[in-house]
This record gives sequence, C-alpha cells and structure tokens, in this order.
Amino acid sequence: MSNLLLSFTRFAQDQIEMADVLRSSGKIYVVVAILVLVLGGVILYLFRLEKKISKLEKEVSDETTGAEYNE
Amino acid sequence: MKLASQTWFRALTIALLLYTVLAGMLFDVPRLPILNESIRALYFHVPMWFGMVIILLLSVIHSIRYLSGFDIKNDVLATQYANVGILYGVLGLLTGMLWANYTWGTPWHGDPKQTTAAIAVLIYLAYSVLRGSIEDGDRKARIAAVYNIFAFAAMIPLLFILPRLTSSMHPGSGGNPGFNAYDLDSKMRMVFYPSVIAFTALGIWIASLYTRLQFARNSFEENNQQ
Amino acid sequence: MFFQELWQLLKKDLKVELRRKTSISGVLLYLVSSIFVLYFTFTGAANSIGAATWSALFWILMLFGAMNAMATSFYETGERNQYYYCVASPTTIILAKAVYNILLMLLLAAIGYAFYILLMGNKVESSAVFVLAVFLASAGFSTFLTLVSAISAKSSRSPFLIAVLGFPTIIPMIMLVIKISKNAIAGLALENSMKEVLVLVAINIISLTLSYLLFPYLWRS
Repeated sequence: MSNLLLSFTRFAQDQIEMADVLRSSGKIYVVVAILVLVLGGVILYLFRLEKKISKLEKEVSDETTGAEYNE
Repeated sequence: MKLASQTWFRALTIALLLYTVLAGMLFDVPRLPILNESIRALYFHVPMWFGMVIILLLSVIHSIRYLSGFDIKNDVLATQYANVGILYGVLGLLTGMLWANYTWGTPWHGDPKQTTAAIAVLIYLAYSVLRGSIEDGDRKARIAAVYNIFAFAAMIPLLFILPRLTSSMHPGSGGNPGFNAYDLDSKMRMVFYPSVIAFTALGIWIASLYTRLQFARNSFEENNQQ
Repeated sequence: MFFQELWQLLKKDLKVELRRKTSISGVLLYLVSSIFVLYFTFTGAANSIGAATWSALFWILMLFGAMNAMATSFYETGERNQYYYCVASPTTIILAKAVYNILLMLLLAAIGYAFYILLMGNKVESSAVFVLAVFLASAGFSTFLTLVSAISAKSSRSPFLIAVLGFPTIIPMIMLVIKISKNAIAGLALENSMKEVLVLVAINIISLTLSYLLFPYLWRS
C-alpha cells in the first residue's frame, strides 16, 4: 500500500514538465558550452581591458616624469 | 582595489562563475509546478539583486571614507561601484521581467519587490545625474558623497522594510527575506551562494578596472593642464 | 547657546517670510489654483471620482507643493543673510531651516487640506488617522526636501536637480503615506496602520539625523 502511494507521488512529480528530453539527448551540453564560451569572452574582454589600462597608466607616468625632466 | 588585482581573487571569480554556469545548468533541481525548468533562473537572477545591494554598500562605505579623509581615490571608487550597482540593478530588473513573464503571466506584475527595486535603480540613476551636473571636481566629490549616503539610507526601507509590509509574489515575504519555498532543497543553496559570491566578485573586478581607468584619465588631464 | 542661535535663525527666516510672503503665497496660489482645476474638471459629475483618485490627487498636490516650497530654501541672498550664515554654525543652520520648513509645510498642508475638503468633499472615514498621515508626511517631506535642496543648491542646474534627486528618494515615504491613507479612507482604526506610522516616524528621524550629520560637508564647499 505504501509502495503504491510512493509510486503515486513519484508519478505526480513526473507529471511536472521539465526539460528532460533536452537532458537525455545530451543537447544540454551544447547550451552549457555556449554559456561557457560567452563567459570566457567576457573574462577575456576584462583581461584585455586591463592590459590597455596598464599601458595607459605607464604612458601617463612616463609623461609626468618626462615633464619633470624637461623643467 | 588592491584585492581585485590579486591573482587568487581573479582565479576564484572565474572558477566560481564557471561553477555557477555548469552546476546551475546540470545539477538536479526540485520539480515544482509553474516554475518547471525555469527554476534555474534563480541562480542568475537573484544574485543580481544580492550583488547590487552588496556593491552599493561598498559604494556608500567609500563615500563615508571620502568624507572622513577627502581622499579622491575613495570618491572614484564610490562612483564606479555605484555604476556597477546600477548595471546589476538593471540586469536584475530585465531578468526578473523575463522570468515573471513566463511564471506570473506578465512582465510587470506590480509586485512590491519589483517596484521598489525599480525605484532603487532610479535613486542611483539620480546619483549619476547629480555627478554630471557639477563641474568642479572637489565640490562634485563632496556633494556626490553626501547624496550617496542619503540615497542609501532612503533605499534601505525601500528594499528591506516596505516589501515586507505588503504581500508579495516573491517567496519569503512576510518576515523572512530568504526563499522559504526553496529552503528545503540544500542542493540549490550549494549553487546559489557561490553564484552570489561569483557575481559580486565580478562586479568588484569591473569596478576596480574602471577606477584605474578613471585615475589614468584624471592624471592625464592634470598633465595636460600643466 | 545652541538653542539661542537656533531661535535667532528661525526668527530671521520667519521675519523674512512675513515681510516678503513669497513662498507661502506662491505655494498657496499653486495649491488653490490646482484644486480649482480639479474642482472644475470633476464638477457636474458628482461623486465621479473614487476614493483612490481622491487620495492620489491630494498627495500629488502635497508633493508638488512641498517641492515648490522647499526648492528655494537655500537661495537667499542679501547682506543680512550672509551675515547670519557666517556667524552661525552649519548644524544650527540646517536644523533651523528644517524646523522652519516643517512649520511652513504644516501650515500649507493644513490650508491645502481644508480647501481640498471644501471643494472636493471628504472621502475619509477615520479623519484622525488621515490627519496624522498628513502631519507626518508634511514633516517628512520638509526634512527630506530641505537636505535635497541643500544638495541641489550647490550645483549649477539646481531647480532641475531638486526634482531629479527628490522624487525617487521620496517615493518610499509616499508609499507608506498612501498605505495609511488607504486604511484611513476604509475607516480602519489607527492600530491597523501602526506599522506604517512607526516606519514613517523612523524615516523622519533618520532623515533629520542625516541632515544634521551631512550638512556641514555641503556647507563647507
């Protein structure tokens, strides 16, 4: 009896529609790969931005010391 | 600012972000009616709000520190944190509208948390309008710091008190700000908290980069004036 | 000493206002003419507006009235003012301004409320609760907007800025006030809106404290 009840609740849970097909066919990994790529792109952008800022910082500090040298 | 340029900090941020995406998409989630698979949006939508509040808190802390020492560095940091906070707030609103459209039926549901969050974003947009309308650097920093503290104080009842006085469709209203409905599932928390940390850390990282950019720009302008 | 200074500044503001009568009469003119516009719009169709519209219109009037009244708080010129402001300490200046603005706003709200009821009828069941809401709201609006106008007075585009800074920050207060007036219109006793009243009082105290703490930084620049 309790077994029946259990299977009934399991059945009720299974009724709730999830993206099970997407998962079982393995296509979910395509979605995950795309998300990881986008994330990687954003992080790459941050690193490139930092590189540019470092260059700018160096130029600015060079300019300051250069100006002092001229005086 | 020092923190965000540490290698471990960046490695941790990247690792946690990766973990959020992988675990958020692949781990098991509870089967709940109406939400269905979209329950996974919790990992990406709610951290926007948590991140916004934490980052705006950092912003107001730097404003207070500016007023206690008048170090311009704190002002630049406060500005950039506020900008990232606005960005997160807007993203939180947009993702919330998208999610609400499929679970509650309409993008704008008049839910108190949604309205108050929109107003919080407006308050901080007013902060950047204020900054834009003062020319003089020192005065701008000082007035903006005063408004930032004032705005944060005005935002606290908006985000933490008002939504609890009215019923909300968000889980956990009526006392607890958490998410009672999901609390049963500790697996979701295993993804949710790292996600909050990851997005907050990402925000700190972005803010620190823009702070350095602003600094370089400031000293460039100073050099040109000389 | 402190109270003496406060009293002196308050007296100065009152005297200036009584002599010029600009802000009181200006805002009253605004209130009365807006109420007349509403009256002409809705007249004939008796009871055509519901209680919700009635309260929304009233609070919009109050909000804009407060904005108009407080916008010019820090625009005084003239040698006498300059002298007072040089001598007094900034904390006294802001407190005197806040107290003066609260008094001004209470007067305006009382006249506005009376005139509104006269022309638009009374839709409130428990008037005492509504009057309390009006009282707390006018005190809150004026302390809030005093600091906002102090902030915006320091920028170049101040009349524009007081609206930009004031409206979003004042919305939490308005939400509470609207909740209380909804209860009052429905005829609920004070107990039912006690939470909102307490939060409103807390916001008033916080904004007054913040003005006290932050104004010296504005004044120095």
